[in-house]
Amino acid sequence: MMNANTSALGIVFPNSYDAWVPDLVNVRLMASIPFASRYRLIDFILSSMSHCDIDNISVMVNNNYHSLMDHLGSGREWDLVRKNGGLHIFPPFAEKSAKPYTGRVGALANILDFLRDEKEKYVVITDTNIVANIDFDAMIRAHIESGADVTIAYNEQKLPESLLENKSNDLGYYYTFGLEKGRIRKIYVNAKDTGIQNFSMNIFVVERELLIDMINTASVRGQEYFERDVLLPQLNKLNVQAYKHEGYIARICDMKSYFDENMKLLDDYNLDALFSGGPIYTKIRDDNPTRYIEGAKVQNAMVADGCVIEGEVENSILFRGVKVAKGAKVNNCILMQDSVVEAGANVEYLVMDKNVTITAGRDMKGTSTYPVYIGKHKTV
Amino acid sequence: MAKEMIAMLLAGGQGSRLYALTEKLAKPAVPFGGKYRIIDFPLSNCVNSGIDTVGILTQYQPLVLNEYIGNGQPWDLDRLYGGVHVLPPYQKASGSDWYKGTANAIYQNISFIERYDPQYVIILSGDQICKQDYSEFLKFHKEKNAEFSVAVMEVPWEEASRFGLMVADKDDRITEFQEKPKNPKSNLASMGIYIFNWDILRKYLEEDEADPKSENDFGNNIIPNLLRDNRRMYAYHFHGYWKDVGTISSLWEANMEILDPEHSGINLFDEDWKIYSRNSGMTGHKISAGAVVENAMITDGCRIKGSVKHSILFAGVKVEKGAVVEDAVIMGGTVIKSGATVKHCIVAENVTIGENAVVGAMPTESENGVATVGAGVRIGDNVKIGPNAMVRNDVEGGEE
Repeated sequence: MMNANTSALGIVFPNSYDAWVPDLVNVRLMASIPFASRYRLIDFILSSMSHCDIDNISVMVNNNYHSLMDHLGSGREWDLVRKNGGLHIFPPFAEKSAKPYTGRVGALANILDFLRDEKEKYVVITDTNIVANIDFDAMIRAHIESGADVTIAYNEQKLPESLLENKSNDLGYYYTFGLEKGRIRKIYVNAKDTGIQNFSMNIFVVERELLIDMINTASVRGQEYFERDVLLPQLNKLNVQAYKHEGYIARICDMKSYFDENMKLLDDYNLDALFSGGPIYTKIRDDNPTRYIEGAKVQNAMVADGCVIEGEVENSILFRGVKVAKGAKVNNCILMQDSVVEAGANVEYLVMDKNVTITAGRDMKGTSTYPVYIGKHKTV
Repeated sequence: MAKEMIAMLLAGGQGSRLYALTEKLAKPAVPFGGKYRIIDFPLSNCVNSGIDTVGILTQYQPLVLNEYIGNGQPWDLDRLYGGVHVLPPYQKASGSDWYKGTANAIYQNISFIERYDPQYVIILSGDQICKQDYSEFLKFHKEKNAEFSVAVMEVPWEEASRFGLMVADKDDRITEFQEKPKNPKSNLASMGIYIFNWDILRKYLEEDEADPKSENDFGNNIIPNLLRDNRRMYAYHFHGYWKDVGTISSLWEANMEILDPEHSGINLFDEDWKIYSRNSGMTGHKISAGAVVENAMITDGCRIKGSVKHSILFAGVKVEKGAVVEDAVIMGGTVIKSGATVKHCIVAENVTIGENAVVGAMPTESENGVATVGAGVRIGDNVKIGPNAMVRNDVEGGEE
């Protein structure tokens, strides 16, 4: 049981950075992109929150959210069916006064009444393009100890190439920090610096009352983005602290990073690092165990339940219910739920979305630098 | 509102012929088929047949079973009215009793059945692997205007004397019941699955209870009494896969038959008749480079670096480099260290098998026993466990 003085409610933005992975979000949003053979991206954030007794969570869906609603259901799998709190889903027009929004300020302005009515002292705000087992308890403790107004999580890493290459700001904003003894003194928007950066994870801890004040003021001024419009101009006035995430982290920034971050989990070291904390919960599908038929040859693969493998699989991630027929070869591929590789087909460097079928005898290849994506329900 | 039919599932049996596997849990809770427990089969059958009220009668070592069933959610049996209820013996104003027999277990829970005022009650047994549509069985019961029906399987005549047999006429009406007879008059074996009209069941349970000489058992008492009174009793022929997994060898065999769904008749890959279970919540399993996996069922959380052939692995099993697993059933959380050889055996949950240890052996003409290692046991490095062994305690060294 968490102390009332450190209790926090969670706010999750499932559509953030959708524009970075246009193929993958064609039939869904960032939060419901399948990852690591049986999960969706949002499972990591929700499970982390659940482990830290954050059990009053609002998901601010904006568009294309049917797949997410389907995935979350009542929130039972994450232990979020609670008499007090639990899982709330806020669609864009949840209230009469709600307005369309593009940034966090606009979104939060739409739920101010809800925020005012809640009891938790703190608010934790996150996106879903980050895969990590995050210790929110430690982050909230650090926030309290430092006396910060706002604490933002970051990790040290290079900026992904796709962000460096992209000259346009249309795809949204990302942030890097200039730090002074843990305090954020500079926020850089869409920086193009090479080398290790203090790369924002866009995870905030802030007192609920202060958040309400900030949103009130900002929305009166017509501001949209929290970091760019609210924090950046006030870094001298507000005590904005940085909280360094030391644990395993995967960021989905483009198709390449999606592919690579999945593949990295084929290394036991990475797999153990990501799953060393509490369990990651996800929607249960009640598949049977995976069946390897005589003649199957599998090397270096991560496989979920419900698959039937009769062919060869190497360096690949197989989601639930995948079928690889006799004589088929699967190399360096991500095969999402219920996709089928028929007899004698040969696939390499593909990201196959749900229910894709590669018909018998076909050859289909991408490359390690450019994995080819095949859309949901397509038959090749 | 009355329910048409509710199920009473007999899950109190100790399953003493499973020895080390049932030392700390009841037979229906024994793990089966990679991610299930035996009780998942009757429970899933109920749900798939449209039965939403199930009483589970427990007595022996109920802890694991109680926790596993929980609120019944994994089977969709968390219902506002009905759902699944675990029914252990309890203390009443006029004293308390253990369940004296199968019939007495139901008798002691008459008030539970009364709450739902059903027309029919189906009595199920918690130790069988079977996919059966109970709604088809009920349809038969109604068509025959029966008061009691029993599901039967045709068994080979030479094995018939091992079973409780129903002798029936052309119309399937039962004329005689033979319990393990020397000279069988029928080859229709009772599966221990009964449908009763509730009023008939109640009447005979009360009569049976009043008889101090009764063993309070369905087979020995209730069915003979129904026959004596010339009740409308019918035998319902079931033709699918059915296996009583009451012994080590039958449990091992039933597991192995899953690996051959095309011939054995038990198909767990049936989208129209899913078997539900409580999920382990582990991540997808991992087959490393250099591993060999052939003809096997593997589930979440497994890490395979060695060789796995013709085997069933439950959640979280680790097979280290150089280890060999063949013809084996390895239950959840067990670790098989490098160089160990595990063959033709059942290894229960959370066992550690040390480096270069040997457990079991492939069957030969003179020796075809299935070695069994009980839950939580540690088998030391280089230890050798023979093909017929039953290991209940840690083994530090030597042979057993």
